[in-house]
Amino acid sequence: MNPLYARRRRSNSTAMTLCVGATLFGLTWLTLILITLFWNGFAGLNVALFTEMTPPPNAQGGGLLNAIVGSLILTILGIGVGAPVGLLAGTYMAEYGRYSKITSVIRFINDILLSAPSIIIGLFVYGAVVVPMGGFSGLAGALALAVIALPVVVRTTEDMLLLVPTQLREAATALGMPQSYMIRKITWRAARVGLVTGLLLAVARVSGETAPLLFTALSNQFWSVDLLKTMANLPVTINNFINNPDPNWKRLAWAGALLITLAVLSLNIVARSLSGGRNPK
Amino acid sequence: MNEMSSAQTITKKADGVKIAVRNLNFFYGAGKPSLKNINLSLLTNEVTAFIGPSGCGKSTLLRVLNRMYELYPNQRAEGEVLLDGQNILSPGLDVNLLRARVGMVFQKPTPFPMTIYDNIAFGIRLYENLSKSEMDGRVEQALRGAALWGEVQDKLDASGLSLSGGQQQRLCIARTVAIKPEVILFDEPCSALDPISTAKVEELIGELSEKYTIAIVTHNMQQAARVSKKTVFMYLGEMVEMDDTDKIFTSPAEKRTQDYITGRFG
Repeated sequence: MNPLYARRRRSNSTAMTLCVGATLFGLTWLTLILITLFWNGFAGLNVALFTEMTPPPNAQGGGLLNAIVGSLILTILGIGVGAPVGLLAGTYMAEYGRYSKITSVIRFINDILLSAPSIIIGLFVYGAVVVPMGGFSGLAGALALAVIALPVVVRTTEDMLLLVPTQLREAATALGMPQSYMIRKITWRAARVGLVTGLLLAVARVSGETAPLLFTALSNQFWSVDLLKTMANLPVTINNFINNPDPNWKRLAWAGALLITLAVLSLNIVARSLSGGRNPK
Repeated sequence: MNEMSSAQTITKKADGVKIAVRNLNFFYGAGKPSLKNINLSLLTNEVTAFIGPSGCGKSTLLRVLNRMYELYPNQRAEGEVLLDGQNILSPGLDVNLLRARVGMVFQKPTPFPMTIYDNIAFGIRLYENLSKSEMDGRVEQALRGAALWGEVQDKLDASGLSLSGGQQQRLCIARTVAIKPEVILFDEPCSALDPISTAKVEELIGELSEKYTIAIVTHNMQQAARVSKKTVFMYLGEMVEMDDTDKIFTSPAEKRTQDYITGRFG
């Protein structure tokens, strides 16, 4: 065999081995995490988990009802505030301000916000809302989640709208369609699968956030849906329970972690299948 | 007022000019103009073809006629484009109303992501408030007008994207015709179509010319010869020659025109 070609073949198989090895390395840890989670989490799954409140320390039984409901409220409120703002901002960037300088500035800032550590956002909301209002509250928690969801939605909205072919905009414009009408009826519609996917990814992102809730919603041992008081939620409850020697609390923490993981996993699968269905390969 | 409009109608009929382009220069940003001092007239209910090598400015010219260029920054046109005597480049003009009068069909078929029915009804709803039965009638009329009715009458609720390329393009033509424009601009309408679809669209353009003033940009010289009455040859942003299509393809006045149509360049 030609020695030069032989060398190329050797370096090719070396590169491939390294790539496959790195992939396996990553997958191993992911698998170990999932196995641990399922092993410990399934042991804690029962009906009481969804019907009973978080128990006091050193008690038997109990569930996560208040934390599950609290997480749902916080997530829905956070997305309810963050998603519309993000959708409109992303629409501005892709449609009205596509060629303006300010759009690239907004995009840059949005990317910073997107990668900002969530604990910083928690601290910001703590200073901006919790301190002036005189205490931790579900409202502050929802706002922190909204700030986390916002850049995700902005980014996906802009990206998805930029994927809509310019020809479609031209065709709509050529019919004498005003721009706002064209955006609502044509481009949003053409991009709707992508927009929904972005929304689901934002939900998945905020539903596991712990750090921003530690400084805002805190947590609550008891049933409370009052937005002006502290509110129970899964991530902070897990955080509190796992750090305690009480085996009952540990069991509930694992079950809660499994719940969040399953929720995020199914959201991701839905998002995947939605965006995959658009362009069958 | 009445007298004036009837006087205008008479002059319009007398010279038959639908669109008059006067001293038009066009710029993509700073620097040299991409269209240089264009002067030409499109006659009422006549098909005018624009030919020339890539980059000669024929599509650019077409996009001035409905101010489509305004979608993009830094593009500007200088000079006058008179539609029935009214300068459409004047800043005060409502571009949406202009585009409703001057429709456009693009190179790539661009059905909207909705049903076939809604693709047509959509544009009509912008300007008219019709009852369901009136709308049904208008949709059928538009689809018949685009020679598509027979193929889609049983599946008006199917997505516009489910049609073949040629059908999609005729759907786009139907959509344009549905809002009753006066002028239709075709920007290489057949370059993404197979020969059979192309033949159908060409036939359609011939029929449409009975009611509409038509401008068509094409890379295909045989197509220009087949569908148009007048042909404009453009080169490097200039209008080299405009004449009857027969004359352009048999005995053009300019050497550059002859070189182009005989395939010596472009």
